Amino acid sequence: MSSRSTALALCSLAMLLGLATSVPTIAAEKILNVGYNDSLSGPGAVFGVPQQRAIQIAVDEVNGAGGIKVGADNYKINLITNDDKANPTEATNSVRKLIDRDNVKFLIGFCCSGPTSAVASFIGNEDVLMLVGTAAEKSITTRGNSNLFRNRPPGDFTGAAAGRFIASKGIKKLAVIGALDAALYNQYLAALRVEFEKLGGQIIATESAGLGDRDMTAQLTKIKGLNPDGLFVEIYVEQAAFIYRQANELGLKIPIFGFHGGSEEQFLRVLSSEQMEGVYDLRPTELTPAALGPGAAKFAESYKKRFGENPAPNTGYAYDGVYILKAAIEIADSVDVKKVTAAMASMNVPNDVVLKYLPVDGKLFDQNGQAYITNGAFQWRNGKWTFVSELPSDTKAYSDALSAARAIKNPIK
Amino acid sequence: MKVSGLQCFTLAAFMLLGALPYLVFTPYTIQLATIALMWVLMAQGLNVIQGETGYVSIAQAGFMGVGAYASVLLVQRHGFPVWGAMLMAPLAASMLAAIIGFPSLRVKGHYFAIVTLAYNLVIFITLSNAVSITGGEGGLSAIPRPESLELPYLGTVSFHNRINYYYLTFLTAALGYLGAWLISRSAFGRVLRAIRQNEPLAEAIGVNCRRYKLTAFVISATYAGVAGVLYAHMIGFINPTPFAPDASLNAILAVIVGGSGTVAGPAVGAFMATFLPEFLRVDESTRFIAYGLILIVATIYLPRGLVPAIAEGIAALSVRFRLSGSLTSRPN
Amino acid sequence: MPSAAEILQQIVNGTVIGSVYVLIALGLTVIFGILGVAHFAHGSVAMFGGYLTFWISQKYGLSLYPAMILAIPFGAALGVILELFAYRPVRNAAPINAFIVALGLTMVVDRLNMLLFGPDQLVIRTPYNGVYEIGSIAVSELRIQVVVVTVVMLCLIGYLISHTSAGRAVRAVAQNPYAATLMGIDVNWISLLIFAVSSALGVVAGALIGALLALAPGVGENLVIKGFAILILGGLGSIPGAIIGGLTLGISEALAAGLLSSAYKDVIAFMIMIIVILLRPQGLLGRK
Repeated sequence: MSSRSTALALCSLAMLLGLATSVPTIAAEKILNVGYNDSLSGPGAVFGVPQQRAIQIAVDEVNGAGGIKVGADNYKINLITNDDKANPTEATNSVRKLIDRDNVKFLIGFCCSGPTSAVASFIGNEDVLMLVGTAAEKSITTRGNSNLFRNRPPGDFTGAAAGRFIASKGIKKLAVIGALDAALYNQYLAALRVEFEKLGGQIIATESAGLGDRDMTAQLTKIKGLNPDGLFVEIYVEQAAFIYRQANELGLKIPIFGFHGGSEEQFLRVLSSEQMEGVYDLRPTELTPAALGPGAAKFAESYKKRFGENPAPNTGYAYDGVYILKAAIEIADSVDVKKVTAAMASMNVPNDVVLKYLPVDGKLFDQNGQAYITNGAFQWRNGKWTFVSELPSDTKAYSDALSAARAIKNPIK
Repeated sequence: MKVSGLQCFTLAAFMLLGALPYLVFTPYTIQLATIALMWVLMAQGLNVIQGETGYVSIAQAGFMGVGAYASVLLVQRHGFPVWGAMLMAPLAASMLAAIIGFPSLRVKGHYFAIVTLAYNLVIFITLSNAVSITGGEGGLSAIPRPESLELPYLGTVSFHNRINYYYLTFLTAALGYLGAWLISRSAFGRVLRAIRQNEPLAEAIGVNCRRYKLTAFVISATYAGVAGVLYAHMIGFINPTPFAPDASLNAILAVIVGGSGTVAGPAVGAFMATFLPEFLRVDESTRFIAYGLILIVATIYLPRGLVPAIAEGIAALSVRFRLSGSLTSRPN
Repeated sequence: MPSAAEILQQIVNGTVIGSVYVLIALGLTVIFGILGVAHFAHGSVAMFGGYLTFWISQKYGLSLYPAMILAIPFGAALGVILELFAYRPVRNAAPINAFIVALGLTMVVDRLNMLLFGPDQLVIRTPYNGVYEIGSIAVSELRIQVVVVTVVMLCLIGYLISHTSAGRAVRAVAQNPYAATLMGIDVNWISLLIFAVSSALGVVAGALIGALLALAPGVGENLVIKGFAILILGGLGSIPGAIIGGLTLGISEALAAGLLSSAYKDVIAFMIMIIVILLRPQGLLGRK
């Protein structure tokens, strides 16, 4: 019997101690848990790891400057990181864990469309705010989620402009190789095809490859046999690198256009600079220090210093994501999810971002939660991605089309 | 009636699981327990072909996928009511098992295991590439929960509620467990074990081994199909990944480590396989290394699995106590 | 319709990858055929060898072949360790136990590779980028080297088996393990030797795949499953079977991808495996 009362006493003591230490101290420094889900391993890591590093830099900057100011409190950001391995099932599990086990209200990251689409399909039912980075598949912002925002334009926003560019280079017979089963690349190609064919071009071959494949010699051999005068490649960075290398090895000597992003170092790990010479990348202008302001140059500097290589172009989305979240919280002057969501939906382009956004009706995000930046053509010259020209596109028209698509998917009953 | 230690343990576990949602308050733990119960079905099913009959099958996850996709496609493409789809879909797994099992059960031992691995891979690759039907890598989303039921005393039971879905899974797993127990006890189970111990002898006595093996294989696949159906309608999204051979290896791990000779063993193994990663929150590589080592060590030193070893251990201890008890108690 | 030149190019491509398959299948067939062990972890061992080659070449600035040669003894050592501590204890138990041990080993070695070398894909860069064009068939220097290296390894193994006493002992054990023991051959040593040689072949295969494509999680498993398909096609324990089977698989894959669809390329291996097991379990060249 005495052991029982000892146990009781000890328990009470423990509870009191617990209560005592959890009384908030006067210093109003709080923690804001932010869920970070990204593809940190597997084929998507070429996009996810650079995002992770960019977010790390941004979070350190924000915390170093005192955190996010809400009223009298300063919130330091605490990232809870999960790797979705570029896989939709993993992403679903990982986001469920973040919401159910770690109780986060804000989610960032999301570099890859497959996993992100899966999460987008149920996130509307959750009491969280989701900010999507590099994932470019269209339906992510046409699903009708009012709590999902994305600062990367959908793939087909660039596809149409790309079609015009390729035609302008005098290409008449275009062969295509890509991860055509992925909705993202399908959409880009569809938009490209419309413009390309309008200008008299013809797509003579469409070969498919998997997102994790490395050996595309069979498809390239088939393409070579059809004698195209141009090749278009749309797939993840590493796969594109293998395609370029194998195209070289098969003696395919035609102009090559791509849609994949990727930094110089990411490509040079797979093939040599000579094998890449002249390849085009047709994508949103993303992080191009030469073409953007001093903020971008400063970010590129810190990235290079800390991680030893150039930032991949898509790091801009991730870096900005942190600052966009910060700005929305400060505008709402609260960390309440609903208030921050409302603030984000109506905010202007904030100050600390590095990418150049095209506001729609004066706001950063259009009514679909979608932000836009300009499109550009880049070419590999002497071991570096060089900005060649802007690819003109009509933001307002696209935004309206996106709204229409969203209305079709989510009719008001 | 003499109740063995194992039976006490099983009863206690059953009651604990039955009351779980009222003992635990984190929604995440309930979700995890629901998944563990699905894996109990997987492991129990696998045990029928592997533990009882002695044919290791690396296709269990593939059948789970067949069940899952069948159910979702029936609902989304053919407008079936969810309950109808959930009840019929496991038959797809059964039928597939009958078709591929028929020629394959001719071969033995590691040949059979390798062939089942090949089947799982073919299923996986087909699911990944038949994009127009299965959505490929991107999978199928917005999978609905089963329709709410009007039950006496309970009123309207909605399966959007995590706890209610837990009970659905719990009841199904309990039925599955009962089925496995009945199989084990029956003449059918005895024949299966005879086949495992000495197939040529069984054949010589006149047993139609082919038919028994095929039935066992189909039963295993059906269990997996049911697990797949429950999985798909809970998570709301499926793609080929959870049905890759890696997951089949998980099921094998559960059966072997838990104990392939008993009915409780696979269930214990299934819970361990689901909950261990949550407790050992080390990075995944280390965890898998541990799994591999456990599998190797278990196969070498504990070939009958954990549960029998523990049961034997407890039995040995209790004999010791009974003996010493009888020495010190007053003689009657 | 594809032209003859295109088909020929696909065959050339298929021969190159088929050579790597031959190396893997060879490593598997000696172990499975002589010791009866389905060494599923062979793919992971091959990957270890490849990763080590990459690491050595990066750290010491060596090119592909010197690095590979330095990695071979370590790969062989790994194989020996696996035999000694994992397979030997279950040597006399039911064969299915060895298979399960093999599955466990695959998990362990795969993840060990990930811990040691990271989860990202690694490409062994070589300067052999030159492309030879014969008519409209193009083949790179590296690809030609892969085939040459495979042939060299085959000759080496053939020499070892037919002209050394160790080789004679191995042949004896292959024919009749009991008689071999009676003749004074220590089966334990032979087991170690076989695993060592097989793993050495695995290292070469891993290094070549690392140079040709890449080393990454999942590559090893893919290779070993195809290795088993080849074994089953060519017949267990048959070295000519492994060679013919490997080339056949490589070329069939390339042709199927070129003429039909690249998506189902991997399925070829499995369909072959399933059909052969069901119709002719001893394989094309195996003895029953």
